[in-house]
Amino acid sequence: MAEIKGSEVKHVIVACEAGMGSSVLLTTQLSKRLKPYGVTVEHLAVNRIEGRPDVVLTHAGLADRARQQAPESVVLAFTMFLGDPVFDRLEEAIKEDGTLSS
Amino acid sequence: MGEALLSRDGIRLGLTAGDRTEAIRQAGEILVDIGAVEAAYVDAMHEREAVLSSFVGEAFALPHGTDASRVHILRSALAFLQFPDGVDWEGEKVRACIAIAARSDEHTDVMARLATVLLDGEKAELLRSTDRPDDVLDLLEPSAERSPS
Repeated sequence: MAEIKGSEVKHVIVACEAGMGSSVLLTTQLSKRLKPYGVTVEHLAVNRIEGRPDVVLTHAGLADRARQQAPESVVLAFTMFLGDPVFDRLEEAIKEDGTLSS
Repeated sequence: MGEALLSRDGIRLGLTAGDRTEAIRQAGEILVDIGAVEAAYVDAMHEREAVLSSFVGEAFALPHGTDASRVHILRSALAFLQFPDGVDWEGEKVRACIAIAARSDEHTDVMARLATVLLDGEKAELLRSTDRPDDVLDLLEPSAERSPS
């Protein structure tokens, strides 16, 4: 199980099937929210994730593929592109140095 | 400011579609008509939709092709389709689609504007119900050319 402290999160990947639609929408929203904490947010097709991003956010339907692609990263799954509680959880952990795990 | 990705010829309001497949077929046809994609890209849009619904909330969906199908994009462009009566989208109701053909990240600005619009109830409803293409451009692509008035 992967784990990370909020203060260590500097780079978040939003992964989507093609990295063209909803992930771009979400990335623009999250970039704004997380910028004040010095966190960069980038979107990518799930198959293009490389290395060990701090956190990978992905739709629940793609979470297994994201975990295969980045087994050492914390993978957080959401079901709603607008207002999923996991986005608040991520921001809260970064702000309060809480622990995120997947 | 780069060239507008969404232009008047890519905006279709007051449409009807019997189901999601038909809505995506219509979206793909517009992208083909405006010279943005080859027909094979439309197949990939159906394929992508089968893997994961492109519904994003607020009665909006963002249909697009797969990563591999980017080779069938002739030029990056967007289309806006409005279905005032709604289309069943795997149990969700969709009233507006933004069809995407993007070679890379050219459409980030429009997506950022869309994200802002979707968090504003009144503006989101305007996109779902307006009969004026200029309203769509004002909210999503303010740099695009307007109709002569």
